[in-house]
Amino acid sequence: MIDRLRSRLGLVLFVMGYAFAVYWVFTRSAPIVTDRPITIRVAHWQIEKGPPEGLDAVIRRYEQLNPRVKVEQVLVPGGGPIYRQWMRSNLIGGTGVDLIEYGFWLDGMSDIPARYFAPITKEMLAPNPYNRGTPLEHVPWAETFTDGLVVQQVTAPVPGQFYAATLSEVSTRLFCNRELLRRITGSDKLPETLIDLRALSVKVRAYTARTGHPYFTLAGSRDNAEWLLEFLMQGATMQMSQRNDRLGVLALYQWDELGHYLEGRWSFNSPEVRAGLELAREVGLNMKPGYLQSMRDAATMEWLRGDSVFIFAGTWDGTSLRRLATFPVDVLRFPRATADDPVVGKYFFGRFADGGGGTCMELYLNKQSRHPQEAVDFLRFMSSVEGSQLFTDNSGWLPAIRGVKVPDAIKAYETPRDCYTFGMPYVMIGSSVLSQVARNMHQLVGPQGSVDKFVAAMEAVMPEAARTDLRKEINNRYIAVRPQDPQVVALHELFRRTPRNPELAVARERLESSQTQTEALLFQMQRQLTAAGE
Amino acid sequence: MPGLLTAAELVPAWTALANGRPDEAQRRIGPEPATRAEQLAWAAAELGRQPVTDDHVRATEQVVTELARGDDEIGAQAEYLRARLYQLHYATPDPARAAELFLALADRRPQSHWAQLGLVKLAMMRLYDSSGPATNRLAPAEALLARIHEPQLQRDLHLQIGQAGVTLGLPTRRFLPHFVAADRLGGLTGAALEDLIVQIGTLSFRAGEYPQAQAYLTRFLQEYPTNVRAYAVARLLERTQRGLAGEAKP
Repeated sequence: MIDRLRSRLGLVLFVMGYAFAVYWVFTRSAPIVTDRPITIRVAHWQIEKGPPEGLDAVIRRYEQLNPRVKVEQVLVPGGGPIYRQWMRSNLIGGTGVDLIEYGFWLDGMSDIPARYFAPITKEMLAPNPYNRGTPLEHVPWAETFTDGLVVQQVTAPVPGQFYAATLSEVSTRLFCNRELLRRITGSDKLPETLIDLRALSVKVRAYTARTGHPYFTLAGSRDNAEWLLEFLMQGATMQMSQRNDRLGVLALYQWDELGHYLEGRWSFNSPEVRAGLELAREVGLNMKPGYLQSMRDAATMEWLRGDSVFIFAGTWDGTSLRRLATFPVDVLRFPRATADDPVVGKYFFGRFADGGGGTCMELYLNKQSRHPQEAVDFLRFMSSVEGSQLFTDNSGWLPAIRGVKVPDAIKAYETPRDCYTFGMPYVMIGSSVLSQVARNMHQLVGPQGSVDKFVAAMEAVMPEAARTDLRKEINNRYIAVRPQDPQVVALHELFRRTPRNPELAVARERLESSQTQTEALLFQMQRQLTAAGE
Repeated sequence: MPGLLTAAELVPAWTALANGRPDEAQRRIGPEPATRAEQLAWAAAELGRQPVTDDHVRATEQVVTELARGDDEIGAQAEYLRARLYQLHYATPDPARAAELFLALADRRPQSHWAQLGLVKLAMMRLYDSSGPATNRLAPAEALLARIHEPQLQRDLHLQIGQAGVTLGLPTRRFLPHFVAADRLGGLTGAALEDLIVQIGTLSFRAGEYPQAQAYLTRFLQEYPTNVRAYAVARLLERTQRGLAGEAKP
């Protein structure tokens, strides 16, 4: 009797489950067969508040304009290990998506562009068709970006070639908890110089002593401290950078700085570098002790809890910070160094860029994409005036495209062209050097740390780290230039067969020219390695 | 019939190769390339196949060596590719052999584009050949430059002689005219052109050639007003103008 009841109950449950599944499939789930024959996928790690919504808005409009194409966002956490492993394993396995976000600073990934991404130079040198009817209608696509895609160009595996389109311009800013500032200082006055910031830090410490609650001038984490170190180092080393700019291009590329290190033109013991490190240590001491053990989320939480007056962050965090804060937020540029500054004043050269130096969230075309034309077409729309406006309005991030209206709420993220920018910070010039800096940061900013300890630790490992990174630069360029020989021959043969298509001759000439430039770079880097004893 | 594609039928294979898809190119050519054009396409594709190994390079060399005997366009391309194998593609390059082959190509077919391109590559090898003193490196490259008549290739070599002059630490006035010549020949785009304009402006300023510095720095600001270097260029232009007025020293 009980057995019969059990089996009936089982049958009833099975029928109910089946009916629910049928209902769900036909009413709630996505259609099994899409009416759009082409699907392109865009992968990125920008999962903060803002960018996914911004890109969604761009995709919705693009799909209205292109009924044959479906675009999907693939959100992958972090620019750290998860993203790196995901990207490399998919690219090796031939399962990479069509458009992929990549950053030259990703540790151990510098070979990726040369191996897996396709240049889009020809498209970049022609106007973007989605800009028709705008002031950018006749402007080559590459020149519609606010920075002319300078960062992508200087880090491209082949000089003169374009590989990526970008979505946003970024800057670094101090985000201020105005309530806490007022409570501690009795006013809303924001610091304008480093000297002002020091005075404010004294007040924060006094307030902490008075109230017994630990307050800090700056919210701290490893990420925020590293961003700050890069920024402060770039400012302090400008005189040295000018001195080392042998090529006279008013910029230093990362391979330059690696080679210059091996040639003995700078070291962590150089006075300008030491001054930058001294400043970084001083500023870092205004963060919560032990902050190097935590990541950026911890700093964000600390600031949102009202335990610190400022957080130094990229504008990439701006939307999250402002949406989540329960207090009024001011956004300001980091207090500038002045010629009378006791730490870095001796090396003062001028205001250093805290943004406006380049656009980012760069999306690259996967060589293995099954729909390269559609993928490039989406890139064009994404970075058109209309697409960029949609992204900006819905993400709270600055646009990467000229002529896009910047909403009032994020105008403070814009950096006027009132400052120098001089290339790579000396700590971010290669993945091996960067990982050594990260490994030794505690020697600089820890309670027992000092500039001397950090310099000693870095100088012990730098020669090998710089050589390793320069070797990688060389290898990556070999990976890029070798397959160009068959391409050059192929373009020539195609032109011989279709002489009415002059684009082929132009494409061959450009490829030959950029290949020659890359090979020259190889000779120069090899020469620097030889000078270092290899 | 396999291995006898018409010129038009070979276009998809060349297109695949131009787009960096050597495996597809070889599939389209088939397993037995018969005509000279098919053989060249097959050899070029073999060179691009991943993973690159010396076996692939040797297979390519075998084909291009045979093709290079011909007096046609394909022969010239094959001869160029053969030199490139020794310069760039073998795991252990042989620059001396590559130089020999580039010179032979230039002697045999001086008007060919491939011979001209080979001279550019050879000149760069001379520029960075560390066997002699740095001060003597530009002259051999300049001698090869005199044999090049294609303007785009002249431009590329002028540019590289200039860059080598900087890298080797030679006096600015020795190499600066090469940069100016590269600019005058025209046709550079993107970051290469931006860099060149700034470079001529800055190096001219350092050499005390203020009128030339002013012309190039002004041009940069006109052509790239929103560029990230515009602020630094504007400050340098101010110093240049003070220099013109006799007030500043480089």
